[in-house]
Amino acid sequence: MKILAKYEFDELVNKWIAEDPREVVGATHDGTKFVFDDIDDAEELRLDYDLTMLSPKKYFFPQRERLVQYDTNENDYAMVQDWSEESRIIVGIHPYDLVAIEQLDDIFIDAQGDEPYRRKRENSVLIGVTMQSVSEHSFAASMGTARTETGYDLLVTELEDTYAIEIGSEKGSGLLEEAPTKEASLEEVEAVEEQKAAVESKFEKGIEFSPKQLPSLLKEGYDAVEVWDEYADGCLSCGTCNVVCPTCYCFNVDVVDYMTDEVGETRRRWDGCLLEEFAAVAGGENFREERVARHRHRLMRKGNYLYERFGDIACVGCGRCTKQCVADVADPSEIYNELWRSVNA
Amino acid sequence: MPEKIEATDHGPVHYEPEPATLVRREAFTDGDSVFAFELQERDTLGHLPGQFVQLFIPGVGEAPFSVSSSPTDEGPFELCIREVGKVTNAIHDLEVGDTVGIRGPFGEVCDIETFADNDVLFIAGGIGLAPLRSMINYVLAHRDWFDDVTVLYGCKEPAEMLYPAEVRQWEQSDIIDFRMTVDGVPEGQTWDGNVGVITTLIPGLNLDPENTYTVVCGPPVMFQFVQQELDEKEIPHEQIYLSLERRMHCGVGLCGHCQINDLYVCQDGPVFNYEVIKNRPEALS
Amino acid sequence: MSQTKMKPRVAFFDFTGCEGDQLQIINLEEKLLKLVEIVDIVSFREATSAHSDDYQIAFVEGSISRDHDAERLEEIRSNADTLVALGSCATIGGINAVRNSQDFDTVQKRAYGDDADRIDSWEDAKPAAEVVEVEYEIPGCPIDKDEFLRVVTDLVQGREPSLPKYPVCLECKLNENTCAFLREDICLGPVTRGGCDAVCVSEGTRCWGCRGLIDNPNENAAFDVLEEHGLSVEEVTEFYNMYFGWQQTAEVEQ
Repeated sequence: MKILAKYEFDELVNKWIAEDPREVVGATHDGTKFVFDDIDDAEELRLDYDLTMLSPKKYFFPQRERLVQYDTNENDYAMVQDWSEESRIIVGIHPYDLVAIEQLDDIFIDAQGDEPYRRKRENSVLIGVTMQSVSEHSFAASMGTARTETGYDLLVTELEDTYAIEIGSEKGSGLLEEAPTKEASLEEVEAVEEQKAAVESKFEKGIEFSPKQLPSLLKEGYDAVEVWDEYADGCLSCGTCNVVCPTCYCFNVDVVDYMTDEVGETRRRWDGCLLEEFAAVAGGENFREERVARHRHRLMRKGNYLYERFGDIACVGCGRCTKQCVADVADPSEIYNELWRSVNA
Repeated sequence: MPEKIEATDHGPVHYEPEPATLVRREAFTDGDSVFAFELQERDTLGHLPGQFVQLFIPGVGEAPFSVSSSPTDEGPFELCIREVGKVTNAIHDLEVGDTVGIRGPFGEVCDIETFADNDVLFIAGGIGLAPLRSMINYVLAHRDWFDDVTVLYGCKEPAEMLYPAEVRQWEQSDIIDFRMTVDGVPEGQTWDGNVGVITTLIPGLNLDPENTYTVVCGPPVMFQFVQQELDEKEIPHEQIYLSLERRMHCGVGLCGHCQINDLYVCQDGPVFNYEVIKNRPEALS
Repeated sequence: MSQTKMKPRVAFFDFTGCEGDQLQIINLEEKLLKLVEIVDIVSFREATSAHSDDYQIAFVEGSISRDHDAERLEEIRSNADTLVALGSCATIGGINAVRNSQDFDTVQKRAYGDDADRIDSWEDAKPAAEVVEVEYEIPGCPIDKDEFLRVVTDLVQGREPSLPKYPVCLECKLNENTCAFLREDICLGPVTRGGCDAVCVSEGTRCWGCRGLIDNPNENAAFDVLEEHGLSVEEVTEFYNMYFGWQQTAEVEQ
C-alpha cells in the first residue's frame, strides 16, 4: 500500500491528463448529478459521490456503438468491422462497479470473445475508490460488493490529508512510477481497513438473507405470481432499470444507412428485456408478451440465470434501478425480500 | 460408431460478416423460397446439421436462419426463407449474383452420430422442414449408420409444400418411411394424400420407443400436441430433440433476445433436448 | 437490389398546422441536398412555387378540420401511391385536437372573435388517417429530421419504414439525462413513443408526448406516477390530453 498526499494525487492526475495518451475520465458532478465523464483537471473529480447515473461499463460497451461499416458500391464492396478501441484512465470507481466490470469481463472477454469490448477494456486502467458516501437506494453491503479485493488496477482510499493507494496490477503500479509515494505505515493500513469496514454500516437497505441463497430463492419463487404481479402492475415497461444497470448487457443491432443503399453501418445500442418488443420475433410471436413475464425475467437473470451460467450473482446492489424507476417498482432488494418472505411463509 | 464432426471454432467475435454470393434461388410457395449462397473467401461453410447463420443485408439488417442443406451436400449452402419481415422481404428481393454478409455457423446441435444403430423419427411442421432438412439429408447420406428412418411432414395445404421435388423422391424412396399430411385442401388444389394435422400421423407408427430418437421442428403450438402423441408412444424425453426459433441480434450469446429462461437459443440451441427444456416455461409457450 | 431505381416524385402539403414540420425539412441543410439526390420534389409550397399533381409519395402536415381539407386530402390520396402523415397534427391530431374536448362555440369565439361564424370548421380536428388511408406516419412536434430521412430512404429503397416501439425513457437514459421526475418536474417520457433521442429532456425540459402514446402503455401506472408527483386528476388529464387526446378518445371508442 502506498501513501500520497492529496495535492500530490491531484498533481499526478493532472500529469496523466497532460501527458498520458489515454483519455482521463472520472466521477464528477455535471450540475445536477454525479456521472463518469471527461475531466480536464483533477479538481473536477468528486470521489465523495454516492452513485453515478451510469456505470463505467459505458466505456467498454458504449450506449451506441458502430460495429460494421459497409459500402456496397460495385467497385468498393466492403463490409468491415469498424468499432473503436479507445483507451482510458478511469478514476473513482466504487467497489460494486468494479465487481460488475469483473462480471462483464468474464462474459464479454472470457466466455464470448467480444472484441469491441475486449479492446476497449484492455486498453483501460481502472482506479477504484473506497466509498465515502452511500446512496439511500444502495444495498451493496448486503450483496457483498461494498468492498472488493480485486478488479482494480489501483484502489484509492481517502485518509485525512492523504490517499492510501492499493496496487492491483502492473498497469496500476506503472501509473505511480513517477509519483512521490511512500510506503503505508501499519497505522495507515489499519485506517484503510477501518474505512472499508465503516462504509458497510452506512447502508440503509439490504437483502435480509445471504446473496448465496438468491439462486435457489428465485428458482423456488418463479411461480410466486402474487409477488411478481404486485410489482409488474405498476411497471411502465420503459427499460430504464435495464439500461442504468451496471451488469445489464443486452443489445439491439440496427442498420443505419447514410441515406443511400450503398453506404452505412450497423450499430449496437443498449436494449432492455423490460421493453415490450424485446422477445418478439418476425411473424408476430412474442415470447414475453406479459409485463409480469418481462419484469420477472430481469430479476431472474440477475439472481439466477447468470449465476447458473457464469457463477456470479449479477445484481451488485448499486441501487441505480431503484433510484431511476419513476414507478418505484424496480428495487431488487425490496422484491427479493418480499419473495423471500413469501417463499418462507 | 461413426466419427463425430466437430463444430467450427470461430475464435474472437469481430461482428464482421463475410461476403457470400447468391448463386441460385427457387420459389416453393408464394412466400417461401430457397436461396443458395457461396462464400466468396472460403470453400465451405463448415456447419453441422441444425446450425444456423446470421445473414446480413446491407441497408436492411441481420437475421438468423437455420441452414437447410446438409454438410454432406456438395456445393453452396442453402437457406429456406419465409417472407415475414423486413430482412426476409429484402432477401426475397435479391437477385442471383448479389452479395450478402454471413456470420457463423452458430449454435449447439444434437450429435446425430449418437443416434447410430437406432431408429430416427423426424417430425416437421410447415417451415420447420427447413432446419430439419439438413439433418434428414445428413442421416440419408449416412443411411447405414441408422436403423429405420421415418419422416413426418405436415403443412397447411398442398400449395404450401416446401422442397416438392425432394418430397416426391422421399415418398418413393425405400430407404426412408416418409409420410405427409395437409391440414386441409382449399378449392382449386388437388391432393390424394392424408388430410389432418401432423399429430394424426403419429398413432399409426410402429415405434420401438427405447430405440427411437426423434427430432421435431414446427410452430410452438405444434410441439405441445406432438409431444402428447410421443408420450403416448412412450419415447423417453432424453431421446427427443426440438429445434426452436427466436429473434437474435448477435448469434454469440450476448444480445439476450433469444433467451429462454436461462438458456440462449444461439448457444444452447437451436436444437434442444426435450429433457433440458421441458421445465423451462418460456420454451414452448 | 442491383436494379436502377427511378427517383420517386414527392410532394408536400399542409393542412391545419404551423408548418413546423416542413420547416424542419428545409432546415436539413446539407442533408437536403442528399434528399434531392434520391427524390424529385415536385410540390413544396414552403420552398418552391413549382407545383405538379404528378407524384408518387405525398407528405401531409397538419390536422384535418374542415370539409374543404377533407376534399383536398382525398384528392392528394388519389394522386399518390404512398401517403405519409407528417408531424403530430397529421398523425395524432396534435395541439389542434386539444379543442376536441372543449366547448366548440367557446373555442371558435376565442380563436376568431366576431368572425367565428365565417369559419366552417369541424368540431374535431382529426389526424389524416381518420379521413383517408395513410400508409406511414412520422410523428413529432416537430418531426425528427433524421427519422424523416430514414423513412424517405426506406421508401425509396422499397423497404418498410418502421417506428421505434420503445418509450422516450430509453433514449433519455442512454443520453445520461437527469430524469425530469428527479428534477421535481413531470414528464410523459415513460409512455411516449421514442425515436426523438429524448431531445426535450436532454434540453432540460420535459417530454410533452408529441410523438404519441407507445403501443401498449401502462396508463394506470403512468397516471399514478403523475399523481404521486403532485398532479390532480384534472391536471393529469390535461397534461395527457395535450397530445394524447385523440388517441385516448379513439381507445375509448374501440
